[in-house]
Amino acid sequence: MPDTGYRATAIDMPRLGLGLGLRNVHFGHILSEWPEVDWFEAISENFMDSGGQPRHVIRRVAERYPVVLHGVSLSIGSTDPLDFGYLARLKALAAEVRPAWISDHLCWTGVLGANSHDLLPLPLTEEALKHVAGRVRQVQDYLERPLILENPSTYVRFSQSTIEEPAFLRALADATGCGLLLDVNNVFVSCFNAATDPVSYIEAFPCDRVVQMHLAGHQHCGTHIIDTHDRPVRPEVWELYRLAWARCGGASTLLEWDGDIPSFAECHAEVLKAKRYMQGRFDPAPIGAGDDRAAGSVSNPVDFLVPKIMRDTVLERI
Amino acid sequence: MSTAPASLEELERWMLGALRFPPGVASGEANEVLAASRRLSGADGLAIYQRSYFLRIASCMREQFPALCHALGADLFNDFVAEYIAAMPPESYTLYDLGRRFPGYLDNTRPDRDAVSAERETWIDFMIDLATFERQLFVMFDAPGHEGRPFAAIATPDGRLRLQPCFALGSYRFPVAVYYHEVRKGRAPELPPLEDSFLALVRVDYLTHTILMSQPHFVFLTAMAEGSAVDDALRAVSDRLSIPLSSVRRSWLAEDGVRRRWIEAGFFVDSGEA
Repeated sequence: MPDTGYRATAIDMPRLGLGLGLRNVHFGHILSEWPEVDWFEAISENFMDSGGQPRHVIRRVAERYPVVLHGVSLSIGSTDPLDFGYLARLKALAAEVRPAWISDHLCWTGVLGANSHDLLPLPLTEEALKHVAGRVRQVQDYLERPLILENPSTYVRFSQSTIEEPAFLRALADATGCGLLLDVNNVFVSCFNAATDPVSYIEAFPCDRVVQMHLAGHQHCGTHIIDTHDRPVRPEVWELYRLAWARCGGASTLLEWDGDIPSFAECHAEVLKAKRYMQGRFDPAPIGAGDDRAAGSVSNPVDFLVPKIMRDTVLERI
Repeated sequence: MSTAPASLEELERWMLGALRFPPGVASGEANEVLAASRRLSGADGLAIYQRSYFLRIASCMREQFPALCHALGADLFNDFVAEYIAAMPPESYTLYDLGRRFPGYLDNTRPDRDAVSAERETWIDFMIDLATFERQLFVMFDAPGHEGRPFAAIATPDGRLRLQPCFALGSYRFPVAVYYHEVRKGRAPELPPLEDSFLALVRVDYLTHTILMSQPHFVFLTAMAEGSAVDDALRAVSDRLSIPLSSVRRSWLAEDGVRRRWIEAGFFVDSGEA
């Protein structure tokens, strides 16, 4: 079935420039300094149920900056029914903060009512494509806007997979009109772990459907790479970004820094490095050595979403 | 491959099962379902997901129960979390829900559960109380509140005083709030002895205040939380604790009494109707 009119909307998404993730630890700085950053990406689940400070913060931020909502729990690939309660809260948040778009991941997070809180990979088969396309259509019709889907970082591939990820996402975009979020770091991580070529991946990717790109740091463990979002972007990924930037026509770019989050200024300086890679010829950097900090790393860290409430509480005797 | 999962639904069930119960999946089975690369076998790749599943949730639980983690030590705390999510796997899309059932789980699985109260280990009682308090505090952070709107004033008639929406009460067998705030200050408090503790939690300007109080104050606020107006709540204190009503009223209305202090602390809103 062809897309239902969302394609044109997705292609026309604005070019927002260089943005940062809206993180709890930076709330105070943002509200007091109003830094000159192009735009913010907010993790939907961190704000959609909030009756407290996060909701207050995103309302104020959305008054001054373009905002995008990025989800981690839509579970578009799950064989459980879609959670329309979740979608209703997402839609209500979107009505309030008017995001430039809403994105999530090509993944599933749970099944049989259980939630792993991870972004789990799908078998890339015709069956999965049909299943996901049907759900994307449902979500888009419910949200009344195109959905933007991101390529996940992966550590396994299913033996049953018959479609390469770029081709899967191209077919999904063609079938539904959804837009795509190209996470350049995820390309590097997944291709390294699968021992495939990230350049070929980018060249095969439907870049004309890319609305946004992600950048992040990762941990190189020698035999494999973990997507940790806890350090600067590595040179190999920056070079890949140069290639992706040229092919994606300057899509909005965002830095994700979710573990050991440094100051806002340091995060901002990191994403501004992207300007160096917006021109010049692609020159693949050699893959660097493994990192020292190998033990205990967690893929797709989410603890940054849990507020450190201890500092926001006081004891009194009245 | 006759027994290997084949459909999308079967593959998802298989993988989630493999995350939750790693010993249940033999490496041969993993290597059949998952393709090897030059760098990682299927079992190696699955192990990354399996390890991260637990570490990710344990990390979030430590953020939600920092004082309990301090009291138990990280290793023992992590052991409890592992048992908890095995028995009660996460169900909600929101991480904020992760710890909702944890205090109840600790209570229901305590090893001396069937012993009479006097023979139970008090340190376990303390851990359960502390977990309950930390959950209560965590919920306050993001609950609907009254920020941005006016609170009651000293001049607001008693008949129009109502508790503000982001308000909660707790009674504990131990001084859990004091312990929690000692940990917050970076100290290493001893496990406290049994001592009844009554407190209110109130959020003003997105800062949660834990307010220690006497039993009469707790009884009064409990009555108000149950819907009583001020006069009825004062009577409830008098009736339940056998204190003369005149004395209770004096305490409420005194120049430096709780009425003034609690209004100034943001306990009340003006309902606009008596």
